[in-house]
Amino acid sequence: MTAQAFFVLTALADGPRHGYGVVGEVADLSQGRVKLKIGGLYGVLDRLASEGLIEPDREEAHDGRLRRYYRLTRDGRRALAEEAELRAATARVVRLRLGLAGPEATG
Amino acid sequence: MSAGLDLEQRYRRVLRLLPRYYRDRWEEDMVAAFLDTWMTGDPDEDSVTMEFDRPGWREVVSVAALAVRLYLGGVGAAGRYFARGQAVRQAVLALVLVHAMVSLNALVFLTWSRRLFGLPAPPASLAATTPGGIWPSVWYTGYYAWLVVLVALVLGYRRTAWVIALLAIGPDLFWLLKGQIAGRFLTAPIGPWAFWVLLNVVPVLAMTAFHRNAPPAARRPWLLALPASYVLVAVPELVLQASGNAWLPDPSGLFCLLVTLACLVHAPRALSPRSGGSGVWSLTLVLLAAVVGAYRIASISDYRHDPHLVAVSLSELLILAVAVALVVPDAIRTQAATSAHPLLG
Repeated sequence: MTAQAFFVLTALADGPRHGYGVVGEVADLSQGRVKLKIGGLYGVLDRLASEGLIEPDREEAHDGRLRRYYRLTRDGRRALAEEAELRAATARVVRLRLGLAGPEATG
Repeated sequence: MSAGLDLEQRYRRVLRLLPRYYRDRWEEDMVAAFLDTWMTGDPDEDSVTMEFDRPGWREVVSVAALAVRLYLGGVGAAGRYFARGQAVRQAVLALVLVHAMVSLNALVFLTWSRRLFGLPAPPASLAATTPGGIWPSVWYTGYYAWLVVLVALVLGYRRTAWVIALLAIGPDLFWLLKGQIAGRFLTAPIGPWAFWVLLNVVPVLAMTAFHRNAPPAARRPWLLALPASYVLVAVPELVLQASGNAWLPDPSGLFCLLVTLACLVHAPRALSPRSGGSGVWSLTLVLLAAVVGAYRIASISDYRHDPHLVAVSLSELLILAVAVALVVPDAIRTQAATSAHPLLG
């Protein structure tokens, strides 16, 4: 899973968001390291939707335009949890090898 | 240029870069998201923004990059876009393979001409073409880079491959400009430039088809293709060259013959009523035929004072056209395929 897809799924983990909302949330979550452009965002949303990891939630009118909200599917939630676990396990190994491991890493 | 348009219409115009099926699905969402990045909630300020502001170049680039990823589709793309993407990727690999084969040939010849590993001296007919001096060494060193480009592309290091390919085509451009200034191309003014544009620049630009959604290349066949093509193409050419009196086609003629042979080998599968799965290769061969055909046409003018060579060149073109006609219907069928996009199904 790419970093962009990981952060987009994470942005939707606590509730549905529209496109621009996802961009802002990803920037916050990644502390500015992942700055999605709209073209890039919809490339990721399209791929996640085609993989069944997200789905449309609802549409809301805003300033005369419709905003479509997206939410995680059950598969999306599972994929995100697995990816988070994988990344956490990798981080634990790295910290261990660097001699930075705290009590939680050494068990 | 976009007078009378407001910001929303300007964004819609940029989004026309995207395929129709994708716009049907995402355009309204994307326009709303684009405008959300501008709107402040102050009606006066928003009104001025809508009237005078334009999409930023970074946003335009992101849409253009998305368009490339969609038109030259990767995993999850609609059938025809995926086929087109695969065909471009295979054509790029085939052209890079040719460069890598020439690099390998140059390396072998270098080893031979320096009589390394106790090799005997090359025959006089080959010794005349032995490179010497600093510039040929730089040029050859740049050319060896194609071997790395091929391996990097096949192993999935697309950015590395792209950067090294850019470095590989640089010395050729310098050599061309130097030759142009020195008047070296007076008798053949078009061929060398056509080679550089069609066989160096075009594949490097087409490497954009190796985007992050592209499936990995089939490693083993493409890596084995290098020694195989060396044995089947470069070695016989070297033997003919060493014999000193055999007729050899020029590079564009050789490329025409190679693509012709590939079309003839593939034709039975492409013409079969059960040609499922062959369409991508048919499309690949049509793309390769277009490139080498254009190179052949461009370089014919270099032989304008030699009717025999013009006739030979036209014959090569004709044979190529007949061979590629055998696979064109299969390629067209692949492009007409309209398998549904996962989101539209």
